[in-house]
Amino acid sequence: MEDYKFLFKIVLVGNAGVGKTCLVRRFTQGLFPPGQGATIGVDFMIKTVEVEGEKIKLQIWDTAGQERFRSITQSYYRSAHALILVYDISCQPTFDCLPDWLREIQEYANSKVLKILVGNKTDRDDREIPTQIGEEFAKQHDMYFLETSAKEAENVERLFYEIAAELIDQARSKDGTNVNKTTADAIGLGNFGTKATQNSCCSGFSSNTSQTNCENGNSRSNT
Amino acid sequence: MALIRCCFEPVELPEFFDTFVQKCTDPTCCCGCCSALRPRYKRLVDNIFPVNPEDGLVKSNMEKLTFYSLSSPDKLDRIGEYLYQKASKDINRKRYKFVEIAMEAMDLLLQACHAQTTLNLFVESFLRMVQKLLEDTNPNLQIMATNSFVKFANINEDTPSYHRRYDFFISKFSAMCHGNHDNVELRDSIRLAGIKGLQGVIRKTVSDDLVENIWDKVHMEKIVPSLLFNMQFCVNVLFVKKNLIASGDLTPVEDATHVTPPVLAEEVLRELVGRASFGHIRSVLKPLLTHLDRHELWVPNTFAIHTFRIVMISIQPQYSYTVVETLMQHLDNNFKSSPKTRTSLAVVLSKIIAIAAGESVGPSALDIINNLLTHLRTSVSTTTEITNEESQYQEALINALGEFANHHPDYQKIEIMLFIMNTVPDLSKKSKGDQMLQNILLKSLLKVGTQYSTVSFEKAFPASFLQPLLKMARAPHDPTRVIVMQIFQALLDRHQNEKVLSYVTIKPYPALSQEPPSRSDIIFTHKYGANIMQALIDSMALSDRIESLASSYNTAALLIVEMACGETVQEFLLFILGIQQVALTADLELEVVHKCNLHCIAIALMSLISRVTGVNNLLEYAQKIIDARKEEAPYFLPPLLDPKKTGTTKMNLGLPHLTIDKIALAESLQNAGMDSNRLQTGTPYALNQTDNPAHRHSWVDTVSNPQLPQRNSSADLTAYNADGDSVTSSPGVSKKILAPEYNFEAMKRALAEPSEAMKREQRDKQLQIVRTFREGNFEDLVRRTEPKHDLIQNRLNDLFNSLAVERQITQSDIKTQQLQAEKPIYETNFPELFYY
Repeated sequence: MEDYKFLFKIVLVGNAGVGKTCLVRRFTQGLFPPGQGATIGVDFMIKTVEVEGEKIKLQIWDTAGQERFRSITQSYYRSAHALILVYDISCQPTFDCLPDWLREIQEYANSKVLKILVGNKTDRDDREIPTQIGEEFAKQHDMYFLETSAKEAENVERLFYEIAAELIDQARSKDGTNVNKTTADAIGLGNFGTKATQNSCCSGFSSNTSQTNCENGNSRSNT
Repeated sequence: MALIRCCFEPVELPEFFDTFVQKCTDPTCCCGCCSALRPRYKRLVDNIFPVNPEDGLVKSNMEKLTFYSLSSPDKLDRIGEYLYQKASKDINRKRYKFVEIAMEAMDLLLQACHAQTTLNLFVESFLRMVQKLLEDTNPNLQIMATNSFVKFANINEDTPSYHRRYDFFISKFSAMCHGNHDNVELRDSIRLAGIKGLQGVIRKTVSDDLVENIWDKVHMEKIVPSLLFNMQFCVNVLFVKKNLIASGDLTPVEDATHVTPPVLAEEVLRELVGRASFGHIRSVLKPLLTHLDRHELWVPNTFAIHTFRIVMISIQPQYSYTVVETLMQHLDNNFKSSPKTRTSLAVVLSKIIAIAAGESVGPSALDIINNLLTHLRTSVSTTTEITNEESQYQEALINALGEFANHHPDYQKIEIMLFIMNTVPDLSKKSKGDQMLQNILLKSLLKVGTQYSTVSFEKAFPASFLQPLLKMARAPHDPTRVIVMQIFQALLDRHQNEKVLSYVTIKPYPALSQEPPSRSDIIFTHKYGANIMQALIDSMALSDRIESLASSYNTAALLIVEMACGETVQEFLLFILGIQQVALTADLELEVVHKCNLHCIAIALMSLISRVTGVNNLLEYAQKIIDARKEEAPYFLPPLLDPKKTGTTKMNLGLPHLTIDKIALAESLQNAGMDSNRLQTGTPYALNQTDNPAHRHSWVDTVSNPQLPQRNSSADLTAYNADGDSVTSSPGVSKKILAPEYNFEAMKRALAEPSEAMKREQRDKQLQIVRTFREGNFEDLVRRTEPKHDLIQNRLNDLFNSLAVERQITQSDIKTQQLQAEKPIYETNFPELFYY
């Protein structure tokens, strides 16, 4: 039963009210809590996913966005394998705070942590941050980029599956056990942006990593 | 076939499972066939689960399982693994009752087998089980898992497990501490579970160096804020409750049995702090301070004080000053934040510093003082103008200083005062900032001073402390002087008379309490009294402001009350005359009102001293003056006059008959059978006499020489009657009669000799000399004295002439030559005289 191959810790950060908890809820429980209150401190969820036929356990730590909880949330960064930095595409200030968040991550998190920038609430009509801007920012700061909607369940599954796939790649290349990988460049998260039909894409990043990852991930997310 | 299948996969076919278990309880049935196919431990484990999950654990079968695991401990790890597998499946199928039973069974096994050596492996499965339950979203499972974990934490393991990791538990328990369930009751129990879990982790790891280091920054940053978050909630609740109780909306309900998250969190924090060693204290304090910063809990600081009290009380006493240090560092880091925050911080500091004071001795104490003073200094230097908030901050710092000093033994207070005195900037610095700093530091000195209870003045005023303090008493700045006076008052006042003597009056002070001064006090008065009085006179002359005069008066009065006795009364009378002298001296350009006030002070002190010493003659004399003044010049009597409000037109200062007369004073003393020699011979204190310690004014002042501005000094302090021969032998100076010495010899002599005749003879002689000088004409006097001068003049001229010849001698040599040559004069005299 509990024969998962990998355990990854994912931490969500971002301003209050950008939809971190909703993203997690949508992914782990498949629901969108309408009147979700502010998270206090840290919340914890777990989800086991299957990528490339491997069971992967994802520990998802959902942190409070409020300033006053910053001290405790920071302590969760350090052990994270991946950090999802979320902003609200319909709220300019949440985007403006991104440099501050990056500074925090720089300070408290592992330097090799996988960083993903997520623009949430694509279902909203009053978009303030064009996709282009978000993409460029992500490119500048060496992050992956995706736009999601927790409400419409758009790109949520994909987000987590692709993170899982990327982390597996990293873990394997680190272990050195993975011999069938031809390219040494295992950092590139090729699956992001491979779907041309989606309006969000991160073209800046190499897509030269194995396609099996991507297909696997996609097939999981489609089921 | 189906039955056999069900043995292998019992959970996948629940309907069969039920029947299977039912049958298995029957020993005659298929158990035979099962036992052949399944290991025994699996059978035993399966049997503990009831058919109906609501029935709970099958007790009798659990006993069998326990017995089995005790008798064959090597199977324990497999039992654990199997239970874990079963529970995992049940969780996935959301059959929570079965999960609960599995957990319960594991608990029981753990309790029963904790002495086994193979427990280690079982614990692995046990912890995996706990983690599995914690990972689930069901709060009840989480709570149950925590309870199991706590039970486990209370077991002392014999063999350490090096590879065990607790970071998940810490993370998860911390998250649970922030539980935010809609149902308040459930929320509280989740939070309670979280706190208990943290407590368990702490207990498990803190004593064992080999396992995870709980003091690691990563862990502490989770644990401490989680605890504080819950406690902070408590203070709010308490406040609300208090307010409600106060307003009558809520009747206080005491339920000691019900543990709330805040209470438990506080307990855990105490435990954590209590277990922290020196190196670990900071790792607790840092997240604590950050949390307070983040949640903005400094203003208001109730919670901060509460927390720090807890920390101070639970910490191992020898480390308590580290907390103070850390807090001060935090103050350092906060120097840019609002004065309000800093004030709050300083207040917190003042509240806890007392607890630390008992433990910090010697250098660490002075270090803390120094630190506080540095903060004061930076506060003064960074602010261009004194805002209300900034001064509150300074006030809070001073309070902290006072609190700190208060908890030290008295001898250390002196040290502290000396230390502060040394940091006060010189009077030579006149900038506004320095003046402010002087005031602030003196205020802190005063704070410490008020905490000190004087026993002996000798100890309270060591010379190295007294000298700079007296210098400060002459500071040109009014408030500075007032503070110095207050310091004096605080240190002088042994009988709580300060309030009593706070106003100037000629009437007796009803609530005055006094005690005759001890021997050492008198010695102190002889040594330093004069210096203090000198400073007092100077400070009285410096300003005509009522408050500064009144505080000087207060100090003087305290000095009199504490030190005046038969032996010292003359000195005090000279001091009073000195005050009057200042008022009478014309060349000092004092305001009229100021002069009047000085007269007031003089007479008030006069009547005070006569009452304190109990010399009725003096009191009568004082009363006489008072009565006279009442008639002619009421402005010469208390209360003090405000220079701003009083018109000066109708004040006549030229009233010599209303002043205190030295001779009359001496007579009163003599009539009372006391020694008045010192009074007769000594000059009153005068202005601006620097009390250079080397040439300190002393009691031995037999030569009264009004022409000399400087007092004669002598090294001998105790001899009241130094030999007067040198006086008598010097020509041209009027001789003074020596009062008879009050010793045995003198008495004997007095009895044996016809003293009257002798006295008369002496007086005649004196009169004759005086008359000669007074009545004889100038030429005569010149003639009388000239020859001698001539002679010396001639000799000197000769000498210089002879020296002038020897040009090559250097300037310095001349001097020595001169000295050497002085004696031969008399020898060289003879040939010259011969010549004539």
